[in-house]
Amino acid sequence: MAFVLTHIVPSDPAVANLGDRASSDPVAVRLYRQHFGLDKPLPVQYLVYLGNLLHGDLGESEQSRRAVSTDLAEYIPATAELAITSMVLSCLLGITLGVIAALQRNRLTDQVLRVVSLGGMSTPQFWLALVALYVFFYLLSWVPGSGRLDAAVLPPPHLTGFFTIDSLAAGQYDVFVNSVQHLILPACVLAAFNMGLFTRFTRSAVLEVLENDYVRTARGKGLSELTVVFRHVLRAASPPILTVVGLAFGNVMTGTVLVENIFAWPGIGQYSYRSAIALDLPAIVGVMLFVAIVYILVNMVVDILYGVIDPRVRLE
Amino acid sequence: MAATRSANPVAKAWRRIPGAWRQPLTIVGFVLVATWLLVALLAPWIAPYDPLAQSAALFQPPSAAHLLGTDELGRDVFTRLLWGARISIPLAMMLVVLAFTIGGTLGGLAGYLGGWIDELVMRGADFVFAVPTILLAMAVVAALGPGLFHAVLAVVLVSWPGHARVVRGLVRSTMQSEYVAVGRLLGSPAYRALAVDVLPNVAGPVIVLAALEMGNAILLLSALSFLGLGARPPAAEWGSMVSTGAEHFEAWWIGVFPGFAIVSIVLAFNFLGDSLRDAFDPKAIIKARGA
Amino acid sequence: MTTLLSVEDLRVWLDTASGPLSIVDAISFEIGVGQVFGLAGESGSGKTITALALLGLLPPGARASGAAILDGRDLLTMRAAQRRRTRGREIAMVFQDPMSSLHPMLTIERQLTEHMRYQLGMSGAEARRRAVELLTDVRIPDPEAAMRAYPHQFSGGMRQRIQIAISLACDPRLLVADEPTTALDVTVQAGILHLLHRLCREKDLAVMLITHDLGVLSALADTVTVMYAGRIVESGPTIQVMGRPRHPYTRGLVDSLPHPEAKDRVLVPIAGDPASPESRPAGCAFHPRCRYVEPACSTDVPVLIQVDDGRGMACPVDPLVAGLKR
Repeated sequence: MAFVLTHIVPSDPAVANLGDRASSDPVAVRLYRQHFGLDKPLPVQYLVYLGNLLHGDLGESEQSRRAVSTDLAEYIPATAELAITSMVLSCLLGITLGVIAALQRNRLTDQVLRVVSLGGMSTPQFWLALVALYVFFYLLSWVPGSGRLDAAVLPPPHLTGFFTIDSLAAGQYDVFVNSVQHLILPACVLAAFNMGLFTRFTRSAVLEVLENDYVRTARGKGLSELTVVFRHVLRAASPPILTVVGLAFGNVMTGTVLVENIFAWPGIGQYSYRSAIALDLPAIVGVMLFVAIVYILVNMVVDILYGVIDPRVRLE
Repeated sequence: MAATRSANPVAKAWRRIPGAWRQPLTIVGFVLVATWLLVALLAPWIAPYDPLAQSAALFQPPSAAHLLGTDELGRDVFTRLLWGARISIPLAMMLVVLAFTIGGTLGGLAGYLGGWIDELVMRGADFVFAVPTILLAMAVVAALGPGLFHAVLAVVLVSWPGHARVVRGLVRSTMQSEYVAVGRLLGSPAYRALAVDVLPNVAGPVIVLAALEMGNAILLLSALSFLGLGARPPAAEWGSMVSTGAEHFEAWWIGVFPGFAIVSIVLAFNFLGDSLRDAFDPKAIIKARGA
Repeated sequence: MTTLLSVEDLRVWLDTASGPLSIVDAISFEIGVGQVFGLAGESGSGKTITALALLGLLPPGARASGAAILDGRDLLTMRAAQRRRTRGREIAMVFQDPMSSLHPMLTIERQLTEHMRYQLGMSGAEARRRAVELLTDVRIPDPEAAMRAYPHQFSGGMRQRIQIAISLACDPRLLVADEPTTALDVTVQAGILHLLHRLCREKDLAVMLITHDLGVLSALADTVTVMYAGRIVESGPTIQVMGRPRHPYTRGLVDSLPHPEAKDRVLVPIAGDPASPESRPAGCAFHPRCRYVEPACSTDVPVLIQVDDGRGMACPVDPLVAGLKR
């Protein structure tokens, strides 16, 4: 489907990629088309693509002139590192605050948290990124500037592509520290929206659970309030929260364009932006494939976790 | 608690409003939205300068003469901020109305008629949901060419499935409810059931969705403009102003203030939508009546 | 009879926007060690709230006053932490709907052992052993397998037995059972009542049996206290209260029961609807529905007085006498 749609786009990729001068030369255009198989009928192109796909060949990016799969392999870990860090932050903060808001329902804490979480959801990420950079880097110099590492620092030997893990594995603690310093700010900016979202969602999920009788039973057993909340209430409220977290993770993995742009983070977001603008078909298709796989994986994990948490869901 | 009740007419009118609507955040939301609407309407008269008027006073920090400073072409930031509302708000409104009309109609038809229409609409919606919002919007604009109008189209394209889903769900649940079945049994024609039973139930959640979508629309539009895919200079659009601000980091006032504008108006719509959602919640209505 | 719990002048009210709403209006009673104390009444009579007040589980917005002395300590004036320690340990509660009262996502083992470990400091192994004992006590087949199972895998009757097992885990002195059989099939009800009876005798456990079902009361309760609209209207040994009810309300309740041997007797329901806390009639709350109503009933709140030995009654009109007049 991804394939068909990108080919429906009404501009000529040959023109877009060859630049003005070359595209006015019909021979160059024809050669280009021949090279990329664009002159063959659409279904044939699709079959060829599928065939290549099974061999792990996603085609060649017209911009970088490398295999798209190489491009993806390089950029995905960067985004993943950022995405996972920001998800951890937003989950921990968001869910905890949501529980607090639910327990303090309609009191001052709840109202304040409501404003804060709606605020997080109302802030444009690109602006927040700029302001964060300005304040913490430009003015206060608390964090180093953009990119994943300082210019003078060499990346650690490649293991997973995650600079944090790789540097720890190689024992390069200074590189580790540096990569974390670069990671904090963009991760926080990315986490802002989701933190707000999780707070709101957790709050309503917990409120629904609090009305249930088994909460009263738990209290009736004389258990501490902390146990009641974290073992009984939160577990029962997990399924809907899990769904939202899963969706959010999918969104964070695939929608980091603006933040990556501003922080010069070499990830999938930047890659997809460049590919979209240049109408780099193989790359676009590659990205869409990546997106599809992310969502499929997330759904799978969420389904599995559902089964772990809620025994009623498990098949006998 | 309810001691002496004042005979003040304002207080009386105030008390006639249902309790669920009198929450502090709803009021704040209303007030903020109303303020911005007024700003958008009255900008030409309240703004101190002409938004496009360049001057020799480049990169002036905020001062008495220029409340929020000047930008790289000497234009007054405060003026452009106010005028920015005249772009963002009407566009967002138009956008939400369009998305709702398209999405709501498709969703309503899908829910009401079912069958292959339902399948088609839902497949389309699924496809849009599958692609990350920004990327899809970017791709659409890239394909059509930059410009505000194309940006609006792009956002409508990503927004309609949300409306479609909500309306479809509402239509289906109302249709399955018993009182509609009873109405049908008694011989009311289908369209009557639609008007009398379905629509009033649909109104509440739809209004909530519309309010929240306004906020999202403004965010997305400004993001597209920030990337250069929406409003073109010299238009005073908040997103592109932030983009300019990014190019001139030291002159922080150019980019920071438009962002605050975006935050405040999106927050206002979110307050409104969130509180209205509570107000329309049937459980809340029962509690309010009981007390 | 040694007194286990002594409740004096218990009042419970709800803080509403239009002022305090009285739910329970100054009731007093005593429960003896090992006694099955029946608390009867329709929905809205305040019987469940009374139980919740004793446990300290009142819903937010509800407040209680008065005294509830258990073992020399007043439950109502205890500090929160102390109160929490009495729950499950000295007083335990079993609720009406076992499906919704058991946590759907935790194993039976967990739900049985968690408070044993927390309140009594038992080790995991000890708690597990005792849990299996408890399940055997309540006659759950294959207790070891049951430990690993989840509530939704059991039938209603089984779940209620499990709930009872959970409540008895820390060996409480008083078990409050709120409509324990109402949500169950009739055939299963007898089993639960039998179980409660046996446990009561074996462990010298006092039971506060709350129900509107007179059949259940007559099967299990030693004494019956009848509540209407937040007040006690009659109390005494079960046989006497059910056999010879004196208060018009109790009379009405007993009369409205179908009698298996008198098939052609006309069923006499009580006219009108039960009074809700918001619309409690002035004076005697029952007077709008009462067959023996007299003018004074709409102004004077009747006081619970002792008639005969061990019987209380709150009605100035003696139905026996009044019945003769009619």
